[in-house]
Amino acid sequence: MPATDQAMGEALDQLFATRGAAPAATPIILPAEPYLDTAGEALRRRIFLTRGEGGENLCLRPDFTIPVCMRHIAEGADLPRRYSYRGLVFRQRAGGPGEFVQAGIEDLGEENRATADARAVADALASLETCGISLDSLDVILGDQGLFEAVLRALGLPEGWQRRLIRTFGHDGQLRAALENLSRGPEGALGGVAPDLLDLARDREEGALTRLIRIRMEEAGLPLHSGRSPGEIAARLIEKVAVAEARLGEGPLQLLETFLAIDCPLGEAGDRLAELMGTVGLDLGRAMTAFQTRNLALQAANVDLAHVTYRAAFGRPIDYYTGLVFEAREKGAEDPLVGGGRYDRLMTILGADTPIPAVGFSLWLDRIASVSNSRVSI
Amino acid sequence: MTITLAIPSKGRLMEKSVAALKDAGITVTAGETRSYRTQVEGFDGLEVLLLSASEIARELRDGAIDFGITGEDLIRETIPEADRTVGIVARLGFGHADVVVAVPEAWVDVQAMDDLGDVAGSFRARHGRRLRIATKYWRLTQSFFSRIHGIQSYRIVESLGATEGAPAAGSADIIVDITSTGSTLVANQLKILSDGVILKSEACLVRSLTRRRDAGDEQSCDDLAGRFAS
Repeated sequence: MPATDQAMGEALDQLFATRGAAPAATPIILPAEPYLDTAGEALRRRIFLTRGEGGENLCLRPDFTIPVCMRHIAEGADLPRRYSYRGLVFRQRAGGPGEFVQAGIEDLGEENRATADARAVADALASLETCGISLDSLDVILGDQGLFEAVLRALGLPEGWQRRLIRTFGHDGQLRAALENLSRGPEGALGGVAPDLLDLARDREEGALTRLIRIRMEEAGLPLHSGRSPGEIAARLIEKVAVAEARLGEGPLQLLETFLAIDCPLGEAGDRLAELMGTVGLDLGRAMTAFQTRNLALQAANVDLAHVTYRAAFGRPIDYYTGLVFEAREKGAEDPLVGGGRYDRLMTILGADTPIPAVGFSLWLDRIASVSNSRVSI
Repeated sequence: MTITLAIPSKGRLMEKSVAALKDAGITVTAGETRSYRTQVEGFDGLEVLLLSASEIARELRDGAIDFGITGEDLIRETIPEADRTVGIVARLGFGHADVVVAVPEAWVDVQAMDDLGDVAGSFRARHGRRLRIATKYWRLTQSFFSRIHGIQSYRIVESLGATEGAPAAGSADIIVDITSTGSTLVANQLKILSDGVILKSEACLVRSLTRRRDAGDEQSCDDLAGRFAS
């Protein structure tokens, strides 16, 4: 069991090398735009932001995923490829120092998603063991946004609803509020829409609506081409009216709630899901196959499914996460020691020409060190 | 032993602040020259400084003054976790203005924050960029959008003046701005969302909770605050 941080770091470097990941060097001072653009403005208060002399936003590296991905895009290296990293990251935190060490692996371009997902989970757990942490002392939680999206599709919810629910996935309070709104029906939802426009929207008169909206935009001097277009606004008004006048029935609502409450060992999750969907004669299709294939791949990678908890409502409300998410923490603790997930949408947002499947994980070495040191001293 | 109170240095905010102090038995006379100091009668050991409204918020944040009169909007925008750093002693009943989310009137499908969340969520897929919000209130905007409404996908475009013109100029899609009568918004064909009022602001007497004082000054501060207790 490595006793010092240095020894722990070196042991991880070695593990990463045996798992086929090559170290990727990244600068400490980075352009802030990619962060604000992908993770969103909520990050602004948590990063160390400064301005270059020319006015450009710069920040101290808040994580490794984005610079590793950007470096890959800039170099145009062959795929698939695994990158490893270990070094300082900088974030403003109320309850801790602003700089701390992270390490991890980003797995880019592996088309076999089940294999890559399983590798990420297995390597993350192996990393913790390398740092002297016994898996028996951990809660390992796994979620899958793909399954949630499949449930919404299978229920045949209008697309507007699906998008609204997906947007809140991973944020329990907001998901609950959105569900409540949808079950409450149309009251109030269309308040403030002018009656003449409402009639046109009910009749799906997209052309007439578009013309009226274009006139308003021209009167206000709004640019017709750089932002929302008249046609886009008309189409959404029609969708909104259709959605507001539908209503989430008792049955689907209950099914969604039962689904979201699933919290069981990963090995039992397949049966639980099949049983739940079977009672209402629905099929989750490809998402279910992907889930089961990944479980087989996890077993092949020596991950004990009894040690992992599947939690249907577990996700991250950031729009580049697309499928698997997972984390491990000490039993009963709040802060994760490692977190990871699949982010298939990130590479194109950062400028890749074609979509690149991507999955990775990140270890919080300061937390890990304090857990493993406290063990040693006992 | 003195305690300091900063009030806005010009315009109606200054006049009304002086009047509010007068009601509390404190007479403030500005010097003839353009000085930041004043003459104070009616409260021993009180020094009244003239500063800009936004500077007052910063001085309160830094614990550099004991009291300040300024808008709640500036307090909440300037000071992270404002309720721990400062306390609002009294709302003074002037300088009323709301910080609001406003979108073009032509967005006939958007009436509430939920609608805006839908629009923001699919904005990049349609336009290759995030929805842009022009504002000088990035902290208020961010906590309202991200924390209260769970909307993560937008970018803030910093705007230090004529924010309401940003949508027509094409530099932003929507705005978060302060408005008292709403007439500027109407003139620019913008509408406030039904649940888009972020803060109902007015001028407040604010006390620094972090400034270090000796016991005598602490007592003076309590006395001053006591004069505004209603």
